[in-house]
Amino acid sequence: MKLGTVIGRVTLSVTTAKLEGARWLIVSPFTREHYQRGTETPPGLSDAPSLVVYDNLGGDVGQTIGYVEGREAAQPFATPPPIDAINAALVDDIFYHPFNK
Amino acid sequence: MLLARVEGNVVATRKHPSLEGWRLVLCQPISNAGEPEGVPLVAIDCQGAGLHQRVVLSSDGAAARARVGDPHSPVRWLVLGVVDEKEPGVPV
Repeated sequence: MKLGTVIGRVTLSVTTAKLEGARWLIVSPFTREHYQRGTETPPGLSDAPSLVVYDNLGGDVGQTIGYVEGREAAQPFATPPPIDAINAALVDDIFYHPFNK
Repeated sequence: MLLARVEGNVVATRKHPSLEGWRLVLCQPISNAGEPEGVPLVAIDCQGAGLHQRVVLSSDGAAARARVGDPHSPVRWLVLGVVDEKEPGVPV
């Protein structure tokens, strides 16, 4: 699971039958610097490309979510749909203490 | 598998039901010299890894699903073990 900020939503009017009615979020992944800010929305976007994430938890713009990428994203479904990123957690709090030698 | 350092944890109330009760630890992948490499990951922890300890992470989704006991879990990263020493006799 990686963390990211929801920066928008997507709706699809034409879609694969399996994914009709699905909710999609546009997520900007956290970089190492973003973690230091906790759940506060980072100013601006991270350098990493944003991605579209399938959502069944009800995440919304401005929230921090934990998303899973790859084959595992299709695991929660009885018949695997063609998705490769899923929202797995709505993050309440982040406790981050970087290691300094 | 990745060598990583535990740098914190994450709290989430609303999450996939299979993650209920699991510690979610923030792990920063590190190089052999201990320098951070890439973006921190959130992994489930069944070994009780402590803050700033070095751990080995596995990206094996099947193993993680078996661990949480739910074949429909999207979980991927898990803490395999806590590193004592990287080479014999040299504690980290």
